[in-house]
Amino acid sequence: MKTNYLLPNKYKIFGWILFILGLIAGIFIYVSEYESDFLDVKVLSFYNDDAIFSAQKDKGFFKIIENNIIDELAALAIIIGGLIVGFTKEKVEDEFIYKLRKDSLVWAIIFNYIILIIAIMFVYSMTFFDVLVFNMFTPLLFFIFRFNFLKLKS
Amino acid sequence: MKNNLKVERAIHDLTQAGLADKIGVSRQSINAMEKNKYVPSTVLALKIAKLFNKPVESIFFLEDDD
Repeated sequence: MKTNYLLPNKYKIFGWILFILGLIAGIFIYVSEYESDFLDVKVLSFYNDDAIFSAQKDKGFFKIIENNIIDELAALAIIIGGLIVGFTKEKVEDEFIYKLRKDSLVWAIIFNYIILIIAIMFVYSMTFFDVLVFNMFTPLLFFIFRFNFLKLKS
Repeated sequence: MKNNLKVERAIHDLTQAGLADKIGVSRQSINAMEKNKYVPSTVLALKIAKLFNKPVESIFFLEDDD
């Protein structure tokens, strides 16, 4: 059967490694509120209007600013790793596995937004900022968990 | 839709994995079909029928509510 948008199975291991490293790094940064000068680099900012998170005074479009990129690296690792894990072929990829994947995606999107609706109603102020941060990753996370759960169950 | 995949498999002395291997699908697909949780595509149904050397209708049956 033709299956679109899927990478070959050999990339799956690489995806898992990147995904798990990203998750560990992300959780560590979140829990420890990690800060250091390590990985402080100059980056290109498409738009900089930053009063809350740093003392950047350089406002405007396309500015070169200084930023610690550890959290960016962790986020990219989770997202890229997660995409690879979720969208590489299984060892034996067939129509049923493809259907499981699609069903898991539908389930993950619905579940994610139900959680978000509850969070919007009952979580306020800066705590809601954490909800937004988690919500960048939860659709992928729920999808991967659901897909692997269904696959192991059947 | 119902099927007697399990019976046919027993006649030919095949495991789920063995049957899956022969028609090039995952073991999960065979298991899901036997539990009536998955309706296979026409291509897959025809492949199974061809392997067991029987017409499709003698392996897969419509149910009243189909």
